[in-house]
Order: sequence, then structure tokens, then C-alpha cells
Amino acid sequence: MMLLKLAQRNIWRNKRRSVIVIVSVAVGITATILTDTLSMGMIFQMFDNQIGSHIAHMQIHRNGFRDNMVVQNFIPDAEIVERAIKEEPSIAVYSRRVVLFGLLSSANTSAGISIIGIEPTQEAKLTKIKSSIVSGSYLTGSPNEIVIGRNLAEKLGVELGDKVVALSATLDGHVGSDVFRIVGVFETFSSEFDKVYAYVPLEGAQKLVGLGNRISEIAILTTDRNTVGMSKEALQDRLGDEYEVLSYVDLIPLILVQIDMYQQSMIVFYAIIGIALILGIVNTMLMSVFERIQEIGVLMAIGLSNAKIFSMILIEALSLGILGTGAGFVAGVLIYLPLASYGIDLSAFSEGLKSFGTGTVIYPVFTATGVLNALFLIPFMTVLGALYPAYRAIRLQPINAIRFV
Amino acid sequence: MEIIKTINLEKTYHDNGVPVHAVRGISMTVHAGDFLVIAGPSGSGKTTLLNLIGALDLPTAGSISFEGEELSSMSRRELSAFRLHKLGFIFQAYNLIPVLTAIENIEFTMMLLGISEEERNERSLNIMEDLRIAELADKRPNEMSGGQQQRVAVARAIVTNPSIVLADEPTANLDTATGSSLLDLMEKMNKERNITFIFSSHDPQVIERGRRLFVLRDGRIEQEVSR
Ligand SMILES: Nc1ncnc2c1ncn2[C@@H]1O[C@H](COP(=O)(O)OP(=O)(O)OP(=O)(O)O)[C@@H](O)[C@H]1O
Ligand SMILES: [Mg+2]
Repeated sequence: MMLLKLAQRNIWRNKRRSVIVIVSVAVGITATILTDTLSMGMIFQMFDNQIGSHIAHMQIHRNGFRDNMVVQNFIPDAEIVERAIKEEPSIAVYSRRVVLFGLLSSANTSAGISIIGIEPTQEAKLTKIKSSIVSGSYLTGSPNEIVIGRNLAEKLGVELGDKVVALSATLDGHVGSDVFRIVGVFETFSSEFDKVYAYVPLEGAQKLVGLGNRISEIAILTTDRNTVGMSKEALQDRLGDEYEVLSYVDLIPLILVQIDMYQQSMIVFYAIIGIALILGIVNTMLMSVFERIQEIGVLMAIGLSNAKIFSMILIEALSLGILGTGAGFVAGVLIYLPLASYGIDLSAFSEGLKSFGTGTVIYPVFTATGVLNALFLIPFMTVLGALYPAYRAIRLQPINAIRFV
Repeated sequence: MEIIKTINLEKTYHDNGVPVHAVRGISMTVHAGDFLVIAGPSGSGKTTLLNLIGALDLPTAGSISFEGEELSSMSRRELSAFRLHKLGFIFQAYNLIPVLTAIENIEFTMMLLGISEEERNERSLNIMEDLRIAELADKRPNEMSGGQQQRVAVARAIVTNPSIVLADEPTANLDTATGSSLLDLMEKMNKERNITFIFSSHDPQVIERGRRLFVLRDGRIEQEVSR
């Protein structure tokens, strides 16, 4: 109790120095909060974009489709799969697709792309293609419509209303071709995506490659992204070996690796902040101990035990750490709130971000773990930084301390 | 009753490699209730001897015992408990805790001893009354004169009812009148509370009042007077 009072008063003896420490702790906390929320925001957006543009939470194919994405690997019995899906309560919506690789040609040039046959209305419930249309319209239902990405349109030198020819290998081993009219152009978060995807109605794709009414993929959204692993297991059990059920974790492993690397690089960043802080505290507390050597000697003389002197110095550092953390937290939240609602427009760096897959406006996201870690770790670090100065203080012989001038 | 006993106490400092024999073989006995002055010229070892008795410094040779218990056998923790429970210090430079007010300085050691708030209040008010410093209660040391600070220091030293108060040149920074009234107070505490006082001083008015007097020269007792 009394140590606390003494420590509180001691830290205000040199106001300037204490304020400097508090401010630097606060800046560290604010920086941590902002980088953490921003990076979590980027990660979430990366996920949402990937999931929302095409991947969805899960996909079902014939077993082996992923290794060899040919039309011959169509889903053997779509009805069985749909029945299984309907019996699985964790599944929110699904959409049937035909996935083709082929060539899309304009009058001038051609490009190798993925042509996805979709059920327009159903697909709009899963992915954002409809809302990403920037000119023209979404697929309206007639089989020979096509929507393509902005970058692809530029590459092919085509515009709305132009006709393009699609070529793809058919079920019986020939090359099928058909003419599609561009009804819409989309622009998603990712310029890469916009270069290689085109969407046509399911029937259009089926006709192109002679699939009849068969499909090659069913995309699924579950009710909760975090339990997708369980839904996957459940479906796989129902469907058996003939089918492969893949979750987004299987489908975009690279992103997970990226996120992992990113988080590790953040640890380095936090470590640097932490070390700078510890060194700052060591320095400050050493100065404050040396300025008070005589007084510490007197405290020893009147019977304050070493343990209490040690704690007094730790409490002083901890108080500075807590004050700084509080100030930094308030500042961080005050900066975070408007950013979270308006986002940070990083279009200056948009090209890089676009291929990174986050979009150009980042909305920071507050996650308990990242921020709480900082809130507890940083005061802890101030105590860590005070250990050596406190040790120096109690190592003094009282008389040498008292005599010290 | 014997309270302090030293046998062939020695303390040698090393000043840049040169040995300085500050105390060379002092054997003395202090009795409970003594009002004892250690006098002697500057550099004769008075402060050193006092610090050894107060366990603020470790002897090079010889022994010191308090109520029969050897100080050299105590751990740092026990020594700090010994100082807390049994000793009171008064320094030439007052050495109050600058961030605490007068009353907080006085209550500080009582808090360390775990004395209840009521009792702390009562004791500190009484002693401040006694030492006529009641009006200083809420002042910080830098708002007080030297004499006032030294009274607070005396209050701090005796409020815990220690066995011994060690006072190193307590009057050196005070004018004669202030010094004299401070000595009156300490004599009163000595009589009323039976607190043993050991002074180091070359102030004649301190030496005059000592009921026992040790005169040091070159780290040895040159003369012992009882009156
Ligand atoms: N820490 C130290 N290091 C080296 N020498 C010291 C130390 N402390 C005291 N001395 C020396 O020991 C001798 C005795 O010093 P001490 O302070 O005990 O004398 P004193 O009688 O109290 O003198 P004064 O009247 O000036 O206070 C002196 O020669 C002094 O220089
Ligand atoms: Mg001296």
C-alpha cells in the first residue's frame, strides 16, 4: 500500500522523463493496435475475397478432378450429391457449376482462361460476381451470354456487346466451339482474377463441351466458416470415395501460408517494439535509481527490506507501463474507430495489393487476441526492463548508498 | 543491561588501493538507557563506528552483538528487520524521504511494522505534539527549515520505540539554539521512553550532555568518561 504511494510519487518527481516513457509506451501500443487490426483486416479481406469471388467454403467434385480438371471428370451423379447436401444442416447454399479450360478469342487475339458455367441466380447467393459487374449486366439467362473480367476485356480488345469465340475440349475428345456475346464486365479485388475468369450460363458451358446436363463442380457456403472442417468431414462421409469434398483450406493453401508468414513477420515487428521498450525502461529506471542512491540507502537504513525496495522499483516501472498502455489503448481505439468504418484507401499501392488479393480499401479488424496480447505483454515488458535497475538498487550496501553524493 | 557489545572492532577502507584504518580495535559496551556521545576529531572514525553498530556497514574484523546476538551471523534480510524493529537513525543531512510529507515520513516505518492506522495516527500526533511540529504535518521536506526537518527525522526515528537511536552529528547543520532544543527533546525521549541514544559529534553542547563519553583518535578509544 505504502510502497504503491511511494512509487506513484516517485514517478512524478521527474515529470518530463516519466512523460517521455509513457508517451513511448503509448506510441508502441497505438502502433501495435493499428498494425494488428490492419493486418487482421487484410487477412480477413483476403479470405473474404477469395471465398467470395469464386472459391466458396467448400467444393465437391468427382474424386480426382482436382488433379486432372478435364470435362471427363464430371460429377457422376449430381442428384445424390444434392440430396446429401440438403441433409447436411451446416450447409447454407450451394450452386452447380461446369468448370472448363479453354481459349477465348476476339477478332484480334485470344487468351487461355477458365470458363465457368454457372446458374446465375444461385451463384449470386454464393459469390460476388454479380455485384462486381462494373459495366453491362449480369447473366440474364440466355445460354450464349458471357461476362468477363475487365483485364481480360482489355487484353482481348473487346467491349460490351462484342462477340467472342470460346474453344474447349469436349467430352468425346474433340474441340468444341461456340460464340458468346459479352453482356457484362466485372472487376473484383484482384487483377489476376479478372484476367483469367469468364462466366457463362450452365447450359452454355454444357453445350460447348457436350456435357448434356452434367456438371463438374458444386460450390457450397456453410453457415459458419470456422467449422467448415466438420462440414467437410460430414459430407465426405455421406458421399464416399467416389467424390472429393474440399474446403477453402484445401483450395487456397497458399493464402494460409501467406497469412502464416505475414503473422510471423508481425511477431518480428512486435519484438522490435518490445525490445526498444525494454531498453528504454532499463535506461530510464537506471537513471532514476542512480539519482536516488542516497535515498535508497536511507530507506534501507530505516528498515525497508531488499524485497520491498525491489518491488518499489518494479511498481514504478509497471505504473509507467500501465499509464502508457492505457493512453496508447485509448489513442489506438480513437484512431481505429473511424478507420474501421471508413476503411483506409490504399489505392496508391493498389496494383500490389490487387495481386495480393485484399482490395484497395482496407478495413481494420479488432481481434481480441492480438490486442489483448499487447495490452498484457507491454506492461509485463516494462517490469522486465526494470529488473536490472531494481537489482542494482538492492545490491548497494546501505552505507555506500547513503554516502554516495 | 548490556545492549551493544563490540570486541576488537576493526574497519579498513581501501581508498584507491591505499588501506585506511578507520576503526582499529574498538571494544565497548553500551547499556540500555545510555545517553552516549562518541567524540573525537574529524577522521577519527566516529561515523564509521556508528555505521558498524547500525549494521549499515560490515566490519573488517572483530564482532558486534546486539542483546547478545552476533550481527555478522545475520542475513541481509535479518539485518534489515533488525534495523526496522530495533534501531532509529538520525542523520546529519536529515535524509527524510522527499516525496513524503512530514506525517507520512513519520508513519512510514510504522507502516513497515504493520501498525494499525488508528495507532499510527495516535502515535504520530502525540510525537508531533511532543516535538512541536504538529503544524508541519502536511509539509514536504523541501518546505521545511533544517531544524524542522531534523525534528521530523527525530520523530521518525523514535516513533517506533526503538531500542537504540543512532544519531550522526544531528546538530551539525543547526544553529545552537535549535540544536539545544533538539537535544532537550532527545533527553526527554531517553528518560520517558528509556530509548538508548548513541551520538557521534564534535559539537560541544552535545558532548556536554552526554552521560557517557568516548573520545576517539585514529580509530581507537582514547578516553572514556562517565558522569
Ligand atoms: N567509504 C570510505 N572509503 C575510504 N575511506 C573512508 C570511507 N569512509 C571513511 N573513510 C575514512 O575513514 C576515516 C574515518 O572516517 P569517519 O567518517 O568515520 O570519521 P569521522 O570521525 O566521522 O569524521 P568527521 O568528524 O569528519 O565526520 C577517515 O580517514 C575517512 O577518510
Ligand atoms: Mg562523521
